[in-house]
Formats: sequence, C-alpha cells, structure tokens
Amino acid sequence: MGGTGTPPFFPITPEEVQRFCEFLYRRTGLSFAQGKRYFIDRRIEERIVATGASSFQAYFSLLRADADHEIEHLINSFTVNETYFYREDHQLRCMTSSLLGGIANLKPPGSTIRIWSIPCSTGEEPYSIALWLMENWPQVDNYNIEIVGSDIDTRALKAAAEGIYGPRALMRLSRDIVTRYFKPVANGNHQIDEGLRGSIQFTRANLIDAQDMAQYRDFELVFCRNVLIYFDDASRRQAAENLYDCLRPGGYICLGHSESMSRISPLFSVCRFPDAIVYQRPESDHG
Amino acid sequence: MPLVRGGAIGPDVGGDLTPPRTTLDSTDAESRWTAARALAGRAEAVPELAAALGRETVPRVREAIMTALMRVGDSASVEAILPFLRSQDAALRAAAIESLQALPEAIAPFMVPLFGDRDSDVRLLATELARNMEASAATRLLCDLLEREPHPNVCAAAIDVLTEVGTPEAIPALEKCALRFAATPFLPFAVSVAISRLSGAEG
Amino acid sequence: MVEVGASAKARVLVVDDSSLVRLYYRAALEQAGFRVEQAINGIEAMERVLSQPFDLVIVDVNMPRMDGFTFLSTLRRGTGDVATLPALMISTESEMQDFAAATAAGANFYLVKPVAEADIVRHACVLTGAAS
Repeated sequence: MGGTGTPPFFPITPEEVQRFCEFLYRRTGLSFAQGKRYFIDRRIEERIVATGASSFQAYFSLLRADADHEIEHLINSFTVNETYFYREDHQLRCMTSSLLGGIANLKPPGSTIRIWSIPCSTGEEPYSIALWLMENWPQVDNYNIEIVGSDIDTRALKAAAEGIYGPRALMRLSRDIVTRYFKPVANGNHQIDEGLRGSIQFTRANLIDAQDMAQYRDFELVFCRNVLIYFDDASRRQAAENLYDCLRPGGYICLGHSESMSRISPLFSVCRFPDAIVYQRPESDHG
Repeated sequence: MPLVRGGAIGPDVGGDLTPPRTTLDSTDAESRWTAARALAGRAEAVPELAAALGRETVPRVREAIMTALMRVGDSASVEAILPFLRSQDAALRAAAIESLQALPEAIAPFMVPLFGDRDSDVRLLATELARNMEASAATRLLCDLLEREPHPNVCAAAIDVLTEVGTPEAIPALEKCALRFAATPFLPFAVSVAISRLSGAEG
Repeated sequence: MVEVGASAKARVLVVDDSSLVRLYYRAALEQAGFRVEQAINGIEAMERVLSQPFDLVIVDVNMPRMDGFTFLSTLRRGTGDVATLPALMISTESEMQDFAAATAAGANFYLVKPVAEADIVRHACVLTGAAS
C-alpha cells in the first residue's frame, strides 16, 4: 500500500482502544480520561500508518515487543516534549520551598550543594535551576552551588555551552529576567550571561553505563526528567541503580510529570511535598 | 555568585569498579551492593550471585543481585532465579518475576514445567512470564494451562495475561473455562471481558 | 451508620496489578456509591494516598516492584491520617498464618481471592462506615 493520498481508515474498536490503554497504563503509568477517546484513536491510527502495520493487532504486537523503539515514538506522540526555561516549574518551586530547606539545615554555610540535570539536552534545565535558585532561594549566597548538566548527545551539550536560545525557549521567563540574565544576539535570539555559562559544568554521560555514572557522586538533587519513561525494563532498573549511587543518602530525584517510580524501581521512597511528588534515596537501609 | 563550577566531577573516585568477589559476603550492606553491581552480566558469577541472593536480607541489595543475574540472562541465571518463585517473602517473589519477565527467550524452555508445577502459587506467578512473549506462543501456553488448571486463581491470572497478549484462538478455551467456573466469583466476569477484547482482534 | 450521600461518597483506592480485578472491584464499588481510584502496585498506591484523601485502600499482595505487605508497612510507618487509613488486604493465601501476617503488616481485614462482588461491597461499607 503506497503512502500517497489519504491514509486508509482503520475502524479501531472500543475494545482495541481499551486493550491499548491498559497496556500503556501498565507499562508507563499514562492514563486518559473518557473524554479523550477521540484523541487516542487518532494517535493509534497515526502510529499504525507510520509503522506500516496492516491492522491494530499487528501494530499492538509490534508495540508490545517495542520494535524500533515504538514505545518512544508512541509516547512522543502523546506528550509535549518541547524543552524550554522553567518547564515544570512546580518542581523548581519544590526545590526551593521544600527540598533545599532540609538539605541546608544539615550543611554549614559555605558547604557545597550539588545538583544534577540529566539529561540536560540543550541546557534549558540546568540554566533554569541556576536562575530559579538565584531568584527564589534566600539562602543562595550562603552555599557553593555546583550544577552539572549531562547528556548523551554531544551536539546538544555544545549548544548548551553556547547558551543561545530563541523566543519559544524563553517564553516562561519574565521580561525582567531575560533583561538581567540574557543579551540579545543575532536572529532574534538571546544568549545567557557568560557568568552563568561558565558556572555550569556540561559533561557527556550515559545513564545506563555504570562506568560513566561512577564518576558522579554526592548529589543532593537530581533532575532526571522525561527519559526513563522511554527505557525498557532492564535499562530502567540499571539507570535507577546508577542514580541511587549518584545521590547522597537522603538526596532527592525528580522525574518528569508523566513518570513514576512505580514503573521504574523500588529503591526510592515516595515523598509528597506541596508542590510536587519527588523520590528520595533513603538515609539508611533500616526502617 | 554562589554558583561554582566543580573542578573534578565529584570527589576522587578510583576508576576500579571490580572489588573482589568475596565482598558479596561482606557484613556491610553497601559493600555487598557495590559487589553485586560490579558483577552484573558476568556469567561466571552466577553461582555466587545465586547463593548471595538466598541469604540477602537488605531489599536494595537483593534488587542489585537480581539485576546482576538478569543482565547475564542465560539459562543458568534463569535457573538461579527460579527457586525464589517459591519464597515465603512476597517482595522476593515479585523481584524474581520481574527479572524473569525481562528474559522471554531464556525463560521459554521453562514455561511448560512451570505450568505443571505442583504448587499453584508457582503456576500463578508463571502466567506473568507469558506477558512479554510473542502472541501466538503465549496464547498456546496459556490455553493449554486453562484446559487443565483446577485452581481458579491460576485461571484468573492466565485470563488477565490473555486479555493483553492473546489472539482470538484463545476464545474456545476461555469459554470452556467460564463453564467450569460458572459458580466461582470473578471468573465468569474475567472470561467475558477477555473474550470481548479478543473478539475484535483480527484486523 | 453514616449514609453515603452524593456529596460525601467514600473514596476507595483499589490496588492490584490485574486490570481485570481492578475493573471488577471498580464496577461493584461504583455501583454501590463509592468513588474509586486505582493503582497498579504499592509505589503508585503510596503516590495516590499521599496526594488525595481516601477512606479505604483495598490492596492485593502479589504486585511488581512493591508488594502489598511492603506497601502496608510503609503506609503504617508514615505520619498523619495516611498512617491509619483502613486497609483491606486480599490474597490468594488462606492459611491462618496468612491472616496473622496481614494483621501484623497493618491490614484491618483480609479476604481470600477470588472475592465476590457482594463481599467486596459489604466489606467496603463496613470499613468506611457507610450504610450497606
């Protein structure tokens, strides 16, 4: 069947949608309200066409086997995956309102607080962490804050180090912040302040590679958002164990808004704060 | 500016990730954790890891040992994990199933014996292992189980997996199951949902 | 006995990794006037109970990543209302030692699978103080 003209109409049955939704919920935790049924039908149809599957059943088999990373393509079609400054800012708020208070209580002024953004992609996340801390944490000047941004993609890291962003990336930032921390450059873009660029350490790292990850230790806080959901079971376990070792006992990890440790690993405790659910490496093995 | 760029990445960490095997025996949980992680995927370490799993009480170390065995993924590692399906400890049983579920090819030769195990709890847990298998193979295995299985909870578990994995070939076995257990709670409901899901399945 | 009114429907969290079991309990409980949420294992159940108030949790034993016993122990070790949330544990095991283990872990009651709809509803009513 060729790819020209309108795609064939697949009358996906309600039972097929149910089967699909149950699989997706079990595997990822993603779920949809009844009112979103039309949205789901369209996404499934798109994926059937994109994969060249001859039917829903054929597509579903492919999906269950995660052939050609279909789970990743599927999830991407459901979720907005754009990166921008202050994305999911409730977690940044949680950081300053809830997490850092406890951390700072245990550390004398002048100590180092290490925060990791992995994957950091083109840098919006680690820079956001830096900006948010400077703008919202009263105790920010009392500590040495080390922010590391890591990714497996060296081109993204290069872009992160350059720190040049278009208007969409900055859309959540107030004009005041943009004025104070960025300077306009060519093509309507802005570049983040040199001091900030110099203060973030960008490195290449692979979450699943224990050797890579062995070099990262003693983090108080890790942002690992919107990547684990794409991994298979074995890789998720591996990444979770690696991240556990990278955190200090009592350190916290934030996942993406559609992600949950319930689909990843039992190593971490669930912590509920006013602004977010985060996960904690237990202080000790007991209790 | 309070932001500092770290000189080195973290404190000095020696690059050596391979502590001697004997630290799987260590009295210190952290050492056992590190040892298990370092041995992940090492086929020659399977007997050692299996023995360690049998005596380990700290949950996160058990997880690491399971992951280590899972990363080997051969029939020796499957055989090392299988006995834990019989454990009295629910957490250990769950960890065993999770690891085995990730190894559909390696577990395949064990499926028929598992479905014939005299312990109904083992048969029940084993149905989960069919979930990551190819649809026709899983359907055949589960239908064979349904035809012979006397225990309603094992049937219920098989029906749950069939609802996700099954092909329409499963429908006759499901119908027979509903008749056998017509007076048992939940089973008729489960069968009717499974059949309705699988009926539209041939596209 | 408190009557379950439209504005005061008791909230039940159903925790079981089987989608068919969750569907079965949800249908029966919603028909009886309860509001029902679901979770697939003990970790997701912790996330739910920490995020919204519930009057009862119905929890299976055999679940991936966090089983029912571990969930109950974690729940009971917590603070506030969450720690005393009524819990109905459901399992395939039927020996006296299993009832004892469930009680020791913090279950208020224990049922053996497969559970009839009427029994799920009756126990939910008793444990939430709603009229049958």
